[in-house]
Amino acid sequence: MQKVLVVDPNLCTGCRQCELACSYHHEGFYSPHLSRIRVVKFEDRCLNVPVVCSYCERPPCEEVCPTGAMSHAVGQTYAVVVEERCIGCKECVHVCPLGAVGIHPRKGTAMRCDLCRGDPACVKVCTAGALKFEPVEEEVRDRRRARAGALGLV
Amino acid sequence: MRDILGDILYVDLTERRSWREPVTPQRVLDFLGGRGINASLLWELLEPGTDPLGPANPLIFGTGLVTGTEAPSSGRTTVACRSPATGWYLKTSGGGHWGAELKYSGYGYLVVLGRAEEPVYLWIDDGRVEIRDARQVWGKDVRETDRAIKAEVGDEDIQVAAIGPGGERLVRFAGIMFSVYNAAARGGAGAVMGSKNLKAVAVRGRGGVRPAQPARFHELARACHESLSADSGFAGLGKYGTSGSLNAINEVRALASYNFRRGHLEDVYPITGQYLAEAGYLRRRAACFGCIIGCHRYTEISRGRYAGTYTGGPEYETFCALGSGCGLLDTEAVIKANELCNLYGLDTISCGSVIQWAMECYEKGLLSSGDLDGLDLHWGNGEAVVEMVRRIAWREGFGDVLADGVRAAAEKVGGDSYKWAVQAKGLEQSRVDTRSAKSYALAFAVNPRGPDHLHTETFAEFGLSPEGRALIARITGDEKYANSYLGEKRAEIVRWHEDCYAATDALGFCAFTSTALYGVTPQLMAQVFAAATGYEMSEESLMEAGRRIVTLEKCINVREGATREHDVLPWRMMHERSPDRSDPDAINSPEELARMLDEYYTLHGWDLETSWPLESTLRKLRLGTVADELAAIGRLVAR
Repeated sequence: MQKVLVVDPNLCTGCRQCELACSYHHEGFYSPHLSRIRVVKFEDRCLNVPVVCSYCERPPCEEVCPTGAMSHAVGQTYAVVVEERCIGCKECVHVCPLGAVGIHPRKGTAMRCDLCRGDPACVKVCTAGALKFEPVEEEVRDRRRARAGALGLV
Repeated sequence: MRDILGDILYVDLTERRSWREPVTPQRVLDFLGGRGINASLLWELLEPGTDPLGPANPLIFGTGLVTGTEAPSSGRTTVACRSPATGWYLKTSGGGHWGAELKYSGYGYLVVLGRAEEPVYLWIDDGRVEIRDARQVWGKDVRETDRAIKAEVGDEDIQVAAIGPGGERLVRFAGIMFSVYNAAARGGAGAVMGSKNLKAVAVRGRGGVRPAQPARFHELARACHESLSADSGFAGLGKYGTSGSLNAINEVRALASYNFRRGHLEDVYPITGQYLAEAGYLRRRAACFGCIIGCHRYTEISRGRYAGTYTGGPEYETFCALGSGCGLLDTEAVIKANELCNLYGLDTISCGSVIQWAMECYEKGLLSSGDLDGLDLHWGNGEAVVEMVRRIAWREGFGDVLADGVRAAAEKVGGDSYKWAVQAKGLEQSRVDTRSAKSYALAFAVNPRGPDHLHTETFAEFGLSPEGRALIARITGDEKYANSYLGEKRAEIVRWHEDCYAATDALGFCAFTSTALYGVTPQLMAQVFAAATGYEMSEESLMEAGRRIVTLEKCINVREGATREHDVLPWRMMHERSPDRSDPDAINSPEELARMLDEYYTLHGWDLETSWPLESTLRKLRLGTVADELAAIGRLVAR
């Protein structure tokens, strides 16, 4: 079963440790602008929503890519950007309905979550519990139970 | 090393020009960062005797050395200037996300000089700086200002530091608000900003921060993360915020209530973090940049007379200042008053203090309803408290008198009202009853900005956590001194916390990482410094740098004329016993304070008579040029 990054904005405190972990993991230093996960802040409501690639079953970014640079690695459950192939046309940026694809400011290539090749750094630093990495089925099961519990019968 | 430090950005509003200068390695080795480098810049830039609200008072913003990195809870920004509340040195600090954004823009420091002719705001877009017209946002509250500037710039993700109407109207306890709800509140830095006609500083930073030794830094940040989250107070502070400790402070009889006439109340539940969560006002927790504690609250009121209210907080200090201090246990009225303070950019501690002082004047007949423009300021009147906050911000009626702070107000009202004006050096005391917390008493008395906890928090003395008790044992040699009622060994406890706190501030860590929770130890901080800069640093050198900062801050006040007589506590603390304890030590008598000061000055190598640092002390701390300058104006004891 494929594991996915699950985001719960109700728990997110907006500390942005995930952005720091991501930029350190991928770039070796700290810059939220180089993070593949971004926390959108609605500041006066202290509302924070982490936005990250959802690993769509039919990823528009991959479908639209003219060079095949946006691809799932063969036999793997995580995606990569094949930087040698990426021409920086930004088609993927435009079609991603989640805003989860960016352009690397220095390299000019597409920037997308690769789940740290199966072991996401962001999840490990989230002390608030807003980020989880788990099989889709567990996520669905948890939500079913939460929904049922919210009816107030238990 | 340059990008972890960030350059110094100078902006002269009178001349309408800006320039940048690097921070020299020597300055970093001596003063570490943030608070320390701010103080060193202020020492150089501030002419003695400068009018705090005149154009010559420099307003200095400094990010922490490691602000912008994954070092946990290290996103704080320190502001320094001469305080319009006290006339003395002011360092005040705030959380939020502004500091990291400034660091990512390439600047570690912002020095604002002069005064603009018309209201302006600064727009710092990466390296580029613009002085922009702010007339359209002048008069707007902090929330409106934040929205308007983001709309004008066309980017919702920028960071804005702003003042509200309080700062514009030079309320002497106006703060600077970062990221809407995080205040550099104490001492009136917002009024200094207002006096410069500077409404806001908006920042966008798309750069990054690269430690000198990235892999080592990463490992150390993880170590800090683990150590901090293992502290026994960690989970509770995140779950209930600072106001989660209200009950415990009440139990040790240190909860300032009814304008410090009481140190204990029967039922404080409605103004605790626990109640906030359980009654549904708490909508979510919020965190400053990189903070894994997340003590900040976001609260909403959905029904009743204050329906539609939403704000950050209330924190411990706010619940006490606008709540128990005013005899007010009405959760919603406190939340409303807190919202107004945030919108108007007022320090909740001082604001609550002046109101409860006025309440006592009202009770004792020194102020009538007529003096108060019809307001009925009896204890616990929530509506009156909320209305008075508004009048203070806009300087309406008697609010204009209170806006100058409780010292000035007491001079105006006269009589015995100075006795319950709970201030020293002109600053209203923060909400710990120092008669039941003797380290706090000493720390408050020697604090260069006045009786306040956010210069030297000495939380360990309460003995409320195993980490705190272990630390007290290490400092004093015996765990029994983790008892806030004891007067012995307080100087040692205060000095350790001073050194540690200064280093913490300079690195950009929150005080909760190292002097309330005790996870980020000085040893860890020294290693973090080394990995960040590439210069090795021992724990002893780091603590010595903390002491250098504390000593320089003292010298800034000495240069302005401070002597031993200024290191005092509010009249009430020294002359009225705490009514909620029966033992004889429930007072900070002048005799007890004098003894503690003697011990403290001796420990520091400061002169007992004047309180001035001795020449030998200054030279030992590599503050030779400071010694020379003080000698030239006759304020150095050549020993």
